[in-house]
Amino acid sequence: MSHEYVPEIAVDRDGKEHEVQGWQGDFYGGKLGFWLFMLTEVMMFGAMFLVLTYYFSLHPADFLEASSELNVLLGGTNTVVLLISALTMGLGLLKMRNGDIAGAKLMIWATIILALLFLGIKAVEWTNEYQHGVFLGLDALQSGNEHSKPFGQILFFGMYFTMTGLHGFHIIIGIGLMLWLLKRINAGKVSTEHHILHFNIALYWDLVHLIWVFVFPYFYMIGAGDVVGGVINAH
Amino acid sequence: MSKTYFDETHCAIGHPKSTFMQWMLTVDHKRIGLMYAAVIFTFFFVAVAVAFTLRLELFAPGQQFLDPNTYNQVFTLHGVIMVFLFIIPGIPAVFGNIVMPLMIGAKDVSFPRLNWFTFWLYIFGALIALSSLWTGNGFADTGWTFYAPYSLNTDTNVITTLVAAFVLGMASILTGLNFIVTIHRLRAPGMDFFKMPLFVWGIYATAWIQLLATPVVGITLVLAILEKTFGIGIFDPAKGGDPILFEHLFWIYSHPAVYLMILPAFGIMSEIIPAFSRREVFGYRTIALSSAAIAGIGYLVWGHHLFTSGMSDIAKVIFSFLTFLVAIPTGIKFYDWVATMYKGKIILSVPMLWALGTMITFVIGGLTGVTIAMVGPDIHLQDTYYTVAHFHYAMLGGVVFLFFAGLHYWFPLVTGKMYPEGKAKIAFYLNFIGFNVLWFPMFIAGYQGMPRRYFDYLPEFEIYHQVAFFGAVIFISGLVYMFYVLIKAWKNGEPSGTNPWNATTLEWHLPTSPPPLENHTKVPYVDFRPYEYHHGEPVVKFDLKTMKRID
Amino acid sequence: MLTNYKTLKAGYYKVLIGLLVLTTITFVQPYMFMLDSTFGIQMLIGAVKAWIILMYYMHLKGEKLIGWTVIFAVALVVVFFAIVVVDVEHFQYKDASHITSQELDVTHTTSHEK
Repeated sequence: MSHEYVPEIAVDRDGKEHEVQGWQGDFYGGKLGFWLFMLTEVMMFGAMFLVLTYYFSLHPADFLEASSELNVLLGGTNTVVLLISALTMGLGLLKMRNGDIAGAKLMIWATIILALLFLGIKAVEWTNEYQHGVFLGLDALQSGNEHSKPFGQILFFGMYFTMTGLHGFHIIIGIGLMLWLLKRINAGKVSTEHHILHFNIALYWDLVHLIWVFVFPYFYMIGAGDVVGGVINAH
Repeated sequence: MSKTYFDETHCAIGHPKSTFMQWMLTVDHKRIGLMYAAVIFTFFFVAVAVAFTLRLELFAPGQQFLDPNTYNQVFTLHGVIMVFLFIIPGIPAVFGNIVMPLMIGAKDVSFPRLNWFTFWLYIFGALIALSSLWTGNGFADTGWTFYAPYSLNTDTNVITTLVAAFVLGMASILTGLNFIVTIHRLRAPGMDFFKMPLFVWGIYATAWIQLLATPVVGITLVLAILEKTFGIGIFDPAKGGDPILFEHLFWIYSHPAVYLMILPAFGIMSEIIPAFSRREVFGYRTIALSSAAIAGIGYLVWGHHLFTSGMSDIAKVIFSFLTFLVAIPTGIKFYDWVATMYKGKIILSVPMLWALGTMITFVIGGLTGVTIAMVGPDIHLQDTYYTVAHFHYAMLGGVVFLFFAGLHYWFPLVTGKMYPEGKAKIAFYLNFIGFNVLWFPMFIAGYQGMPRRYFDYLPEFEIYHQVAFFGAVIFISGLVYMFYVLIKAWKNGEPSGTNPWNATTLEWHLPTSPPPLENHTKVPYVDFRPYEYHHGEPVVKFDLKTMKRID
Repeated sequence: MLTNYKTLKAGYYKVLIGLLVLTTITFVQPYMFMLDSTFGIQMLIGAVKAWIILMYYMHLKGEKLIGWTVIFAVALVVVFFAIVVVDVEHFQYKDASHITSQELDVTHTTSHEK
């Protein structure tokens, strides 16, 4: 597999030469492939949003009530953290394309730290919720006991933990990918001329950000504020 | 020069000396396709054997040797293996891998290492599925559809099976992704989309279904797993969840999945019919675009599985209507194939026999599908043997028969050997007759009310089950005999030469048979349509050393 | 080396500022204005942000083939939404259903008022 690739030439009947695209070193192919992979993520989260919307339409008031219980401050901080990490990731790629390998590595490290910060805040948030008795498997989210929340709220929190959990899982994968990318850069396998891996991981990180752009308002913001959807909140 | 892909290979990691490790690590699309074939057909025979135990149990009313719970697990096992391990990877994994890159003049797929990884992901998923046979409280007894809420409540080992289905789904997604990029990027110069062989069109349409529909069922399975482990409530009516939503999400994938199975099979048909009619395919563009149309409409018809589940009436009407639309592109294909044969020089070789046999069985399967797509009749026929017969006619008599057609068609390409024509024909007739005797009685039994998945039945259905049993015996003998003939031919058959069928597409213009490691000696320039015949002879001829046209 | 490195870098910062402004609107909207349609506004802002990220951070601008594949996938999700919504809206046994009839409080009345 390590042999050097020399593009082949196909000759048509008029003697004209046409360069043959091989699978080796196909930047556009790599990009297309990764976009297609991201479309599968879109379909996955799309299906989850479908579930969420379905139950929102069944239990609008419960959803708003449950949403108002989430911590907008922590969630909002995380939104900004991700926003900045998307910038550092983008700048890292830009530096890589510009030949500034050291700068690129620095930016990747910055992104990793921001990602860890995101996870840390997430952990604080989940711990708080656990202490308030709202967590998967606790009584409040089970049916038929005195702590049971109404259906709509059980479903809201069920989807909240599922979707932010899966999003967090993507963040963890992203950190792993970035560490791997650093290793590949150090090994000289990723360089200014050959940076498809960096390009695709940057795309991945943007996708993770993109999902959060919808996850955040759908869970944290719909029930924030005093008067929502024509229904006065209980508190 | 005469080294073939059996003699040398590229590997994913390093280059081990042992032949065995070279196979395990190979990134060559032909070897990977061949390994898929070996594993997939092994599972096929396992699932056939499992189905045969069901037939044995059903030979007479009452309990023979399976208790009702085991019976549920056995038909689930049959469904899971056949659907997730055999027919969904099926044609794309085997012939998509082996033949598609050859047809477009590529050296390999776009991501050969990913292809290697995908194969092992598939094996990993298969091992998880099998492991659930012996772990936990026994294999799932839900049917392959895992309908909530039963799948959430049963204490059999559903989680492991769900995980397996998820992993296999990921393998399917990655296969599709690889093929889409390959078809977009690696076509030989000059070959635009409307110069591609129709099999490639089938694979392309299928790849889009694999890519975009599979994630939906993937996340549904994840939600079901989370439901079982943490009780998130999404599909559990006790917590306000809606089981119908599970059915929606499940069929959003699983209905397009049947088009995922049939489209490459139609592709094989579109290769065989012109090659053995020695005539350019009739309506090339309509066949190509109808593949895309089936894939597109196929996304929008899932609801016809939910007619009796408690869906709203308006949705039933919409889904029924959309389902009828699928019959149009499918019909176009059939008329095109028949028109191709008209005034052609038809050669009744084995692949052509299988293709023609499929025309009969698939039309039965397809038209009975239209009857149950109507809301009214479906209320009567849903979950009866009529439905069972319908989808076996469509899947087995359509997809698998064409898979076998492809097996005979590309056998000389893959192995370099030719099988004995006479014996292979006997195998076809055994299969064809056995198949019809096995499944046709089920239409009648189902119409009269024999429900699906029942372990016991009323005495008046006995005759249908017994006829089906004898059909099964003939059919299975045919299957075994067919593979026996093929395997024997692989060992001792006559060398076939590079183009035994006088076919026109690029995979028949390789320098050796079986093909060398990196396929064509040189990538040709494609300025011709895929099926050009003149007076029964291929128009386009190549000098196989330089890949220049010499006609 | 990139000839237009400075411009590209400035572009990244401009996009960041745009996104930050939109995010700020996200935060203040539920407390300040259009309180009756918070959900719609929030999703709209989300869509605008997504569009900006896609176009500028993910370099989708000018990508013909990839652009169409993205449109196709998103359209498919929208169609799934539409069909399921039609089904749910027209479900004729809402009142008899265990999962919808349990709540006799606000939910029940609001879902029937529209």
